[in-house]
Amino acid sequence: MRRAGSAVLRMFTEKESCFMWEYLSQHIYDDFILKDRYMYLVKGLGNTLLITFGALLIGVILGILIALVRISYNGGNKGPVMKVLNAFCGLYLTVIRGTPMVVQLMIMYFAIWKSGRPVPVAIVSFGINSGAYVAEVIRSGIQSVDRGQTEAGRSLGLSAKDTMIRIILPQAFKNVAPAIFNEFIALLKETSVAGYVGIQDLTKGGDIIRSQTYDAFPPLIAVALIYLVMVIGLTSLLGVIERRMAKSDLR
Amino acid sequence: MISVKNLHKTFNNLSGPVEVLKGIDIEIDQGEKVVVIGPSGSGKSTFLRCLNLLEQPTSGEIWFDGQQINKPGVDIDKVRSHMGMVFQHFNLFPHLTVRENITLAPTLLKLQTKEEADANAERLLARIGLLDKIESYPSQISGGQKQRIAIVRALAMNPKVMLFDEPTSALDPEMVGEVLEVMKELAEEGMTMVVVTHEMGFAREVGTRVVFVDEGVIKEENTPAEFFDHPRNPRLQDFLSKVL
Repeated sequence: MRRAGSAVLRMFTEKESCFMWEYLSQHIYDDFILKDRYMYLVKGLGNTLLITFGALLIGVILGILIALVRISYNGGNKGPVMKVLNAFCGLYLTVIRGTPMVVQLMIMYFAIWKSGRPVPVAIVSFGINSGAYVAEVIRSGIQSVDRGQTEAGRSLGLSAKDTMIRIILPQAFKNVAPAIFNEFIALLKETSVAGYVGIQDLTKGGDIIRSQTYDAFPPLIAVALIYLVMVIGLTSLLGVIERRMAKSDLR
Repeated sequence: MISVKNLHKTFNNLSGPVEVLKGIDIEIDQGEKVVVIGPSGSGKSTFLRCLNLLEQPTSGEIWFDGQQINKPGVDIDKVRSHMGMVFQHFNLFPHLTVRENITLAPTLLKLQTKEEADANAERLLARIGLLDKIESYPSQISGGQKQRIAIVRALAMNPKVMLFDEPTSALDPEMVGEVLEVMKELAEEGMTMVVVTHEMGFAREVGTRVVFVDEGVIKEENTPAEFFDHPRNPRLQDFLSKVL
């Protein structure tokens, strides 16, 4: 009796696993192979990467500039031009960090830049958003460098600019590298709202497949896996860079 | 060479203004080794830092090499490139090797080519016996070695005067000697030096003039022998009785 029972059970499992496999392969075929649907993910990934790296570039440049304005102003450089610049930077940080990214993106696309092509608009919009966070990270990095470093640079006759570029910023970047990379990773994932303005990014690509096949699980899991792999890749890249920068700490 | 006229410096702290320097006048000639001593908080470091304008004087005049340097329109970077400074906490650049620490400023300011700066760095390091550390990072060497390299870094600019701000105060006692030795050699070569220090032995042996700063003014200045053996100011007598 017992034996018969387990045989039934085994048969059932076999049948079920067979069924599972059939189910999966059929759906994977429909979701990705049929009508070349995987191309939605490939093209989407292209747009996601394009927006991420474009925004990254804008964000870092903007972030450094804003951090320098604020540091310089707080350091006693309070001329009329600096006052205006600093006030503008303060407003920028407050507005950008105080409103949701997706709302900023929609305002940029539907209200400000009405006839713009969506991808460039998204690059600028994400860049402006990222710049606000990068600025604060870089500012804290610059402040983490001992004042004596500036004094040593200046006492050797280096200009304020050279001291900043050659002495302070390299140390500041090193100190905040993990935080900056966090920001990059957050940015990569945040671009998943680009679909709101009609961009076919990776997330939207998966969603289009879902809407065509009425099958949510495989395409969305595939999208999630692709993000995950990219983040793991970025994280290990960070590890390599951090180790390289730590060269001067080894005793 | 350096001339200071009625130097005042007031810091604006949260608790209100603090007047640290209350009118300092001093003339420093070429080749002199002026040692500045005084109790902590007396303003001696602030005075030294005013000489290359790391602190901006509140009032008064600083003259260097025949020009007043604390007035608008002066290229302070150029002035500073002729004044070497050594700090209490070394302030080597931790992200650069010893070689890069020494050659960065001369090459960046186009005073020397890369090859000249390298040769200069090697020559100077060889003199203090640290040529083998040329590719090391500051974190890999001792405090005494760091300070000697900081001195070399300043010397690589071929300065006309060297300012020392308590160069041995942050060192382990056993490393003080090697730094003072380098400074002594520098003095013997005729370098003009202004040294803020607590090393009374160094003041007596190397100084050509010793200056006692207290409460923001110069209370006494004299040759080392007179200064230490026959102090006149009561505050100085008290100070010396505690430190000697």
